[in-house]
Amino acid sequence: MKTRLAILILVILLALLPAYAGKYAVYVVIHILLLSIFSLGFNLLFGYTGLLSFGQAGFYAVGAYGCAKILLAYPSLLVGIVGGVAITGVVSLALGYLCIRHTRIYFSMLTLSFGMMIFSLAWKWRDMTGGDDGLVGIPRAALEIPGLFKINMTPMENYYYVVLAFAILAIALFHRIVHSPMGLTLQGIRDSETRTACIGISVRKYRLIAFTIAGLYAGLAGAMLPPLESTVTPPLAHWSHSAEPVLATLLGGIYTFSGPIVGSVIFYLLKDIIVRFTEYWQICLGIIVVALVMGFRGGVVSIFLRKGGRP
Amino acid sequence: MNAIIRTEKLGKYFGAMAAVHEVTLALQEGLFTSVIGPNGAGKTTLINLLSGFMLPDRGAIYFREKEITRLETDKRVKMGISRSFQVMNIFPRMTVFQNILLAVLSRLNKTSSAFSSLRSQKEAVGEAEKTLGEVWLQEKKDSPAGELSHGDQRLLELGIAVATNPQLCFLDEPSSGMNPIERIKVLELVKKLAAERNTTFIIVEHDMDIVFSLSDWIVVMNRGEVLAEGTPGDIRENQEVRDIYLGEEI
Amino acid sequence: METLIFQGLVGLSVSMYLWLLAAGLTIVFGVLGVLNFAHGSLFMLGGYFTFTYYGLLGINFWLAIALSLLSVGVVGYFMERFFLRHIYHMDHAYQLLLTFGFILIFDDAVKMIWGGVAKIPPMPSFFEGTVSVVGRPFPVYNLFIIGTGLAVAIAIWQLFEKTWWGKMVRASASDREMASAIGVNIPTLFTGVFVFGAMLAALGGALGTPVRVVAPGIGAAMIIQAFIITVIGGLGNLKGAFVGAIIVGTLSAYGILLFPVFELFLIFLIMAVVLMVKPQGLFGGG
Repeated sequence: MKTRLAILILVILLALLPAYAGKYAVYVVIHILLLSIFSLGFNLLFGYTGLLSFGQAGFYAVGAYGCAKILLAYPSLLVGIVGGVAITGVVSLALGYLCIRHTRIYFSMLTLSFGMMIFSLAWKWRDMTGGDDGLVGIPRAALEIPGLFKINMTPMENYYYVVLAFAILAIALFHRIVHSPMGLTLQGIRDSETRTACIGISVRKYRLIAFTIAGLYAGLAGAMLPPLESTVTPPLAHWSHSAEPVLATLLGGIYTFSGPIVGSVIFYLLKDIIVRFTEYWQICLGIIVVALVMGFRGGVVSIFLRKGGRP
Repeated sequence: MNAIIRTEKLGKYFGAMAAVHEVTLALQEGLFTSVIGPNGAGKTTLINLLSGFMLPDRGAIYFREKEITRLETDKRVKMGISRSFQVMNIFPRMTVFQNILLAVLSRLNKTSSAFSSLRSQKEAVGEAEKTLGEVWLQEKKDSPAGELSHGDQRLLELGIAVATNPQLCFLDEPSSGMNPIERIKVLELVKKLAAERNTTFIIVEHDMDIVFSLSDWIVVMNRGEVLAEGTPGDIRENQEVRDIYLGEEI
Repeated sequence: METLIFQGLVGLSVSMYLWLLAAGLTIVFGVLGVLNFAHGSLFMLGGYFTFTYYGLLGINFWLAIALSLLSVGVVGYFMERFFLRHIYHMDHAYQLLLTFGFILIFDDAVKMIWGGVAKIPPMPSFFEGTVSVVGRPFPVYNLFIIGTGLAVAIAIWQLFEKTWWGKMVRASASDREMASAIGVNIPTLFTGVFVFGAMLAALGGALGTPVRVVAPGIGAAMIIQAFIITVIGGLGNLKGAFVGAIIVGTLSAYGILLFPVFELFLIFLIMAVVLMVKPQGLFGGG
């Protein structure tokens, strides 16, 4: 009951954000929401299924470039975002089929190489992706269902509500999934692949499902970026960008539902605050990562919960 | 009587070593069967082959006369074959209840349900509760499985193995690491489950007193081959078996 | 034809940096079972230390290289002894994450100490100049690199085949418990192997100093190359790393000629195909 009340208050605060906070705060919160979605998907693979992917940025970029191309050709926000996610779904299903044949270090290396293949396409396939300049001038098209309604997205506040709505939807759906029989199945695979097979579960099938869902979440986060920034560039696909959800999840906590979300908030604010004092914010992050791995593997959320519960 | 599981010249080789060689067996439904033999005799490899955990290099396996030689483990489980492991193999981060529940969900084909809560799976929850009681873990249902005592983890292994409601269940040293009193209790529990659940158990066990007092049928392996099989009485009289267990009281 | 030979030689000299880099990574993985994400950063540190000793302090080139190997060895010692050693028992993911944390630390640390601008130290005078290869000028320094790379390969091979230490390392790589049972001090051996791997990376970085750019971020770029090579050669396979380095080095030299656009894509494609078809590497057993 307490948790529900807290979530309700949080949602209200977020819904009223443009009323009491400035443009910059809105911009920051959009980015935090995108990173949260990105990290949740990553953690379905890592925390729940036990697969560490270093290629998630590839799917993020597919979503972002997909949405950008659609918006440049056909300026409709909904079509752009849904289209970007759909393309990512197809790509992650196909690559997932190839990646889930391996686990552990080989899986991590395989996802890294596919992610970097997407990066090199983004970087070098000039005709399609604009090369290292990326795609520019992407419109923040109106939210429109022909014949029903059309909402102008020019003010960032309006776009903020679209992102917030998608984020709440994605987070609620995620909560459902991880607390469902399928969520338990994924945790079984993480805990013991052989045991899971020996109770009659096809491990590969569920790994592929988890991989595809993770790809879809990365794609959704990516697809909502171009309307905000009006540009997409190859570094979005680079493996160092794949590290962001890894770090955010690690910060917040791997084995908790809310870990990746809390971690995204901390990660982004940390970056934002430390950068004001010093240009060397990475070293702070590095020290935090090392400290977390050495001592607090449950992440920040578990420090508050005092044990590995799942809020 | 019909054989519930049957092998023809089954072979598994690791380099030059024959872990299992030319094993032809027909194990009967309803007989409590023990596989015994010295260390390295190939008992665990045989179970690995029969449960689909490893694929054989030669020969064939039939479950109720259907060939399953190269069938994946999870599909064999769906046909009604399950197993436990010699080395602890449970879901350590999940609660005891969730360990059993997952096996039940798998049996009921509910694992692909992504949008319903676990609590709403009434049938599975009820069945899991019942199985927990059968293996005496009712009171520990909410503890993380990894934090259970060794004996309780072995019971949980047994619970997971029977929760899929198998017709045929292999138990690889179900009482390993237990004291003699616990051992008898656990094996008597297995016998009770066999009767109540109508499951045929095939176990690997080292405690000869227990094996000879509880088994209906005994298979003796040595160096990857079946040395002898028969009722406890037959095996006790067998000179070859006495030779390999030289000095041991059987 | 001339172009092919010339480009092949260019590829070979690039291969040798890659070989020095990958050798340490694959040895550490083979023995400790840890894939060190920060291995490229150790390569980078080797470059920065050499730049400092040789370029800034004016110490003799050879001595500067020796000192920088020593310095990176000390860094490696601290990484293994105080951090990695405590998480060997855990899932490989944590080892990747820990060493990833070190990339972030090293990257910013070099920026703090040496500034963010790329450093190009002077070439030692005795290596200046070129020799003529198939009618084209080929830098003497590149020949020196090829020679050194081959010499190191032979030396490492001798070390593992012929010396007592090398045999102990191989024993503990194939069976840790057995090695421990016959009296090998595993923790000390692991520290030694890690430091050795770090110094190999540093040697690559140090030798690269006069010709390659020393800059922050080099570590992250190098580790990806090292991953590709060790994957192609088989993780933990030393011979494989040597061949893998030559494949990648040569391919990037010819790739520039043949597929200037998709060189990067091609290399990652090879890596992915190897992982899918033969995860133990092109030269692994089985």
